[in-house]
Amino acid sequence: MTAKPNTRIDIGGLELKNPVMTASGTFGYGREFADLIDLNRLGAIIVKGLSLEPSKGNPPLRIVETRCGMLNAIGLENVGLEAFVKGKIPFLQKLTTPILVNIYGKTKEEYAELAARLDDIEAISGIEVNISCPNVKAGGAAFGAYPQTAAEVVRAVRSKTTKPLVVKLSPNVTDIAEIARSVEAAGADSVSLINTITGMAIDIESRRPKLANITGGLSGPAIKPIALRMVWQVAQSVKIPVIGVGGIMNAKDALEFLIAGAAAVQIGTANFINPRATLDVIEGIESYLIEKEISDISEIIGSLETNQIIS
Amino acid sequence: MFQENVQILWNKKIGPSYYCIGLTCHEGYGMAKPGQFIMLRLPAKTAPFLRRPFSIHRIITTDDRATGIELLYKVVGDGTDKLSRCRQGDSADILGPLGNGFSVFDNYQRIAIVAGGIGVAPMLFLAIALQTKGVDLSKCTVFLGGNSTDDLLCRDDFNRLGIRTHVTTDDGSAGDQCFVTHPLEMALEKNRADIIYACGPMEMLKCVVGIAAKHKIPCQISIETIMACGMGACLGCAVEKKDDASIYMHACMDGPVFEADALKFN
Ligand SMILES: Cc1cc2nc3c(=O)[nH]c(=O)nc-3n(C[C@H](O)[C@H](O)[C@H](O)COP(=O)(O)OP(=O)(O)OC[C@H]3O[C@@H](n4cnc5c(N)ncnc54)[C@H](O)[C@@H]3O)c2cc1C
Ligand SMILES: Cc1cc2nc3c(=O)[nH]c(=O)nc-3n(C[C@H](O)[C@H](O)[C@H](O)COP(=O)(O)O)c2cc1C
Ligand code: FES
Repeated sequence: MTAKPNTRIDIGGLELKNPVMTASGTFGYGREFADLIDLNRLGAIIVKGLSLEPSKGNPPLRIVETRCGMLNAIGLENVGLEAFVKGKIPFLQKLTTPILVNIYGKTKEEYAELAARLDDIEAISGIEVNISCPNVKAGGAAFGAYPQTAAEVVRAVRSKTTKPLVVKLSPNVTDIAEIARSVEAAGADSVSLINTITGMAIDIESRRPKLANITGGLSGPAIKPIALRMVWQVAQSVKIPVIGVGGIMNAKDALEFLIAGAAAVQIGTANFINPRATLDVIEGIESYLIEKEISDISEIIGSLETNQIIS
Repeated sequence: MFQENVQILWNKKIGPSYYCIGLTCHEGYGMAKPGQFIMLRLPAKTAPFLRRPFSIHRIITTDDRATGIELLYKVVGDGTDKLSRCRQGDSADILGPLGNGFSVFDNYQRIAIVAGGIGVAPMLFLAIALQTKGVDLSKCTVFLGGNSTDDLLCRDDFNRLGIRTHVTTDDGSAGDQCFVTHPLEMALEKNRADIIYACGPMEMLKCVVGIAAKHKIPCQISIETIMACGMGACLGCAVEKKDDASIYMHACMDGPVFEADALKFN
């Protein structure tokens, strides 16, 4: 028998025991899944997007099922920083798994203040800066849409924290690689992509949009090919690690992202369909490595062969 | 809460588009409360994409241990259609028991249970739980409403428990031709109830809640929303709170059973 392959990986200063994280907004605050899976087996937990003040989110209807996916317009409903620290941290700090907090603000000052306040909390291993939520009017994706504004937010956050910074990118842009380079220059330690793709659905009886927010973000297997292409492009454009997100349902999907150049992956919508999805992916990656007699996961990261000279 | 791959014990057609399905389950379902639900998915099916929520209709016990659950469902779309085609021995993936159920107390005497259409699904479990609690069901009435006689389910089950049923239909094919809330109101005017439990279409629930408020009777209702996860992870199941516009409640965690005065109806 081959020895257990090494799946440890360093993502811009984040030490993970395996490259599988939970995607923000699809795993609550971790505790929701504690009955079902051993949270300490996860590479990292990224909690629901957090703002300084509690946020109500969008009115219902917030979810529409689509073919091979779903649209959501939750609108970053969350308990706010204070309730998060008081109510959620005590449980999370007992885990050995690194905890990342996904943050968003309406202004870059709000992002900076959140980062400063989280910087003091030892239980938090890193910050994921969400500049890509399509479902809020101010902030969010508005910053992520342009290299300049994206970099400004990242610089503001960077100046307030020494914790590893992941910057989460939006696919709803013309050139995602350009944004990635811009946030890298502004001090990001890694980038995660993709957030959801803006979409909509219409009720033909009432001729009204199905979502109260009119548009929402598409996630699930329907977006995987797009996410994969973007990860591949970005991985070639930046030196910092890339975290692949989008439609990963199983280990095969995750391996595609790793081969395309992602150093780690996040599992999102799959958690709703199979709450064990993260563990299945971890186990599946390990089996693959054993089967192929690969002793270290880093050997497959970015191992895509294209027979094509990429300029 | 358990996620498990279970066997289908039976899947019986009990009406034009109604089915009753039995599933094996974890022994832990012995602790389930009426009003709680499960999220079900058929393995190896790529569509529908999301799990589907169903109330627990009855706990199947063997030697006082929970060995299965029964669901009562109506075929309304792709997911329930595929479910109706499953046979004994097929497998299903279930996540549950989920949510908050009905509160059941042994000091209740007069109880009104109101069910519209498939809303009857959690009510048999409720009646059984009341009986197990020691409530004398002879003063309990179930008000069953439906479009037509085919939509009036479980009458025999309730009668076997010693519960009176009062039926109404929209088309007059059984019972009085009126909304189910009409006989409820008449009954309450004669004799106050200690509690009203209701499950059914939103319009019906709104009316029941109004009646309960008018008579100042405690009332618990079970509602349906679209759900992606059923366990508090997606925040997709937001419902409006009556006296507080600053936050939403969530049907899968705070409900699906709510105190009648907690919800805002549009
Ligand atoms: C807590 C809870 C308990 C439920 N218990 C039962 C039960 O015991 N028996 C039963 O038959 N049904 C129950 N339902 C409703 C059931 O979940 C839906 O009928 C089912 O999801 C429809 O799936 P489908 O794929 O067949 O239909 P779809 O093709 O998805 O939809 C068909 C129609 O049903 C509506 N619908 C879809 N999903 C839901 C939903 N989650 N809630 C309400 N309407 C929906 C759609 O808007 C559409 O009009 C419950 C729902 C909830 C939230
Ligand atoms: C219901 C829901 C809520 C989400 N909330 C957030 C959020 O708060 N912050 C964020 O950065 N991304 C959020 N996302 C995006 C996911 O983290 C992920 O980027 C996206 O869903 C694509 O991955 P998937 O196809 O695996 O779900 C959310 C997605 C869904 C489906
Ligand atoms: S259905 Fe996901 S939070 Fe309620």
